Amino acid sequence: MQGPQQNLLKPSKESREEWLGKLVSGLAIVLIGGLVSAILIFLTVKGIALFVQGEFSLGKFLTDTTWSMSNHDYGALPMIITSFLITVLAGIVALPMAMIVAIAIAEMLPQRVERYLKPVIELLVGIPSVVYGYVGLTLIVPALQRLFGGTGFGILAATCVLFLMILPTMTSMSIDSLRGVPQDYRRASAGLGATRWQTITRVVLPSARGGILTAMVFGMARAFGEALAVQMVIGNTTIMPKGLLDPAATLTSVLTTGIGNTVMGTTANNALWSLALILLIMSLAFNILMKLFNKRGGQR
Amino acid sequence: MKPEKVDRLATYLILAGASLVGIIVLLLLGYLLVTGLPHVSWHFLTSSSESFRSGGGIRDQLFNSLYLVVLTLLVSVPLALIAAIYLSEYAPTNRWTELLRLAIEVLSSLPSVVVGLFGYLVFVLQWGFDFSLLAGAFALTILNLPLLTRSIEDALHQVPALQRRAGLGLGMSKWRVTTKIVLPQALSGIITGAILSAGRIFGEAAALIYTAGQSAPAIDYQNWNPFSPTSFLNPMRPAETLAVHIWKVNSEGLVPDARAVSNGSVVVLIITILLFNLLARLLGNLIQRRLAK
Amino acid sequence: MTTDPALQIQNLTISYGEKEVVHDVSMKFPANQITALIGASGSGKSTVLRSLNRMNDDLATVDGQILFEGLNINQPDVNVYQVRQRIGMVFQQPTPFPLSIYENVIYGLRLAGEKDKRVLDQRVEESLKQAALWDEVKDQLKESAFALSGGQQQRLCIARTLAVRPEIILMDEPTSALDPLSTSQIEATMVDLKKDFTMIIVTHNMQQASRSADWTAYLDQGRLVEFDRTAQIFMNPQQQQTADYLSGKFG
Repeated sequence: MQGPQQNLLKPSKESREEWLGKLVSGLAIVLIGGLVSAILIFLTVKGIALFVQGEFSLGKFLTDTTWSMSNHDYGALPMIITSFLITVLAGIVALPMAMIVAIAIAEMLPQRVERYLKPVIELLVGIPSVVYGYVGLTLIVPALQRLFGGTGFGILAATCVLFLMILPTMTSMSIDSLRGVPQDYRRASAGLGATRWQTITRVVLPSARGGILTAMVFGMARAFGEALAVQMVIGNTTIMPKGLLDPAATLTSVLTTGIGNTVMGTTANNALWSLALILLIMSLAFNILMKLFNKRGGQR
Repeated sequence: MKPEKVDRLATYLILAGASLVGIIVLLLLGYLLVTGLPHVSWHFLTSSSESFRSGGGIRDQLFNSLYLVVLTLLVSVPLALIAAIYLSEYAPTNRWTELLRLAIEVLSSLPSVVVGLFGYLVFVLQWGFDFSLLAGAFALTILNLPLLTRSIEDALHQVPALQRRAGLGLGMSKWRVTTKIVLPQALSGIITGAILSAGRIFGEAAALIYTAGQSAPAIDYQNWNPFSPTSFLNPMRPAETLAVHIWKVNSEGLVPDARAVSNGSVVVLIITILLFNLLARLLGNLIQRRLAK
Repeated sequence: MTTDPALQIQNLTISYGEKEVVHDVSMKFPANQITALIGASGSGKSTVLRSLNRMNDDLATVDGQILFEGLNINQPDVNVYQVRQRIGMVFQQPTPFPLSIYENVIYGLRLAGEKDKRVLDQRVEESLKQAALWDEVKDQLKESAFALSGGQQQRLCIARTLAVRPEIILMDEPTSALDPLSTSQIEATMVDLKKDFTMIIVTHNMQQASRSADWTAYLDQGRLVEFDRTAQIFMNPQQQQTADYLSGKFG
């Protein structure tokens, strides 16, 4: 038996176990940091190859309106415009709808109703985007065709599909942000003689503004990055859209159809990777936007 | 107008609008079920797909989807567990940790087609996996990692801080406290999170068309040797999943009964995801109850 | 002092980040006695207690010496797990693990690698008896610890700490979450345990300090105001500040 002092200074089973903790910490940092850096670096390197190798100028890539792989024209403007257009349209239509449903569920209907609706909304959030694309293909495109003539494929069809796709997510996030407003605010407002509608519009909605805006940006970010559902209904013609019923192409739809048809390292292939880089940059931008809204919402 | 009147009017309008949206969505779900269910038969679920003729089934696609989910969970659950344990138990509160959290958020907001392209570039071409289940599982892991990490971290946070202090007070190492006290109590949350994430990745398609591939070569369900190219267990074979099949049949399919096949596949997809959701809830409750006893 | 100190602190200064919350406190905790730390909220008494077995390592910066067995245990190369096994801690809230009563008591032992069923059984009985819980639970050792009342859970946590066989037990307001009956049972247990263990407790409850502690230290805003035998502190405080605090509490 050694003296008690030595025991306190010597490593024990417990102190030896801590290397496992250190190992886990190191692994976690390497894993996440490495993965994210790898994605950013790889996609950036591939994405700027077109310009660095002098095959096409960045200025023309961003402003030219002709995209034709066979003629070596890589003007991405039509796709950029179309991507933004359908994203913004879908967001603008979905926001009021999501708000109406969220206000009804969170502020007006009894709690019991929410218990039944929550699993339904969860299921809708979980429905894969190809299903929404398929709904677009079999219901929305024929309907548009009957209403407006033409093929039905185009920007309006894509907008409808994206609207359907992001509505459940935006609704469920809006409900959460309305639920996040302290009950005291509502009581205080009611105590001052305000009606429920006055309370909702003057107290609840302003307090939940940050969360609701975050929900909208989140939905739009998903819409911007969605590939297959859009590709199925937009018509896939890489020309500048002139009207909502025109067929068009987005960054994602061109990528989806193009990557398999080009050979790695060729100019055409590099141009596609440049489109992917725009997608990556936009997803970072949406991220920053959400952070800003979240912060603003948090300060209130 | 008086505020009371405005209030009543607004309430009616909001409830009417919400009901309308609800009815449209339910009609949509109903439409999918009604048009799809008649096509779902034992034959449909157990026969292989056809390329040019009608009457094909979805056996291989369904199996591929499920197998891919299993492979993805095998890769992503340990990784997410490591990341979540670090973030919840070990990470100091400083700039670097914040940067790491930011990195996870960036990861979670990447469009799945971008993840798919990265997987194509790195797993398929650079690492030479070719179009394979494994490449698909890695790509899905990138998609799954951020959300799964978040849900595991939440589950760990649910364990009261007092339990950790009690363990440390007994002279246990932080590692022991984490593995013996915190993890068992967070188990139900972790399992629920994993199953919910399984539901999410089950329907993913965009990240898979250039990683797991778009073809379903004939496989042998009697061949249990995972290294054999024809074995159903071989992770290095290309594998079209159910969601990819729906896309493929509709965008460039040549089968005459594309509508019937897609209708049936959509229903199978939705029902499976519903089952995942229910299973998550059920198991979560079950383990919770066993622990509380 | 009539007995040797089991633990001694010298010039202990503790800060959370930039904020210094305990200033230059020095004390000797006599062996086989109960020492109570009293003072208002924010006086630093709990902070001092938690630093004694290095439970504050992650949260605070602790300067000064903590002498145990003639060794300053407040230095980085000391094995904190050994320290915590020998200076145990009981918390404010009862914190049983979601296991059976039996498994709770031997938790520390099992981790130390003890497998002999006879040793474990014996230690469970011994520890539960020391914590005055044996008679109440001896027939339900396999049942969940959550089935016990709050007071029983807290005594179970004391037994769990005792089972590791520490020399010193730190108690952080061990009865503040309990009803008066459970409180008096735990106080009685503490007095019984004195013959085998040194105890240091933090309490809000003046009656508790006066009933059960041999020594009492009064802290105010991170400074040690007065430290003496309990009877002396309560009957005849030397500092006006102590007298004011006690009369305010009792008055």
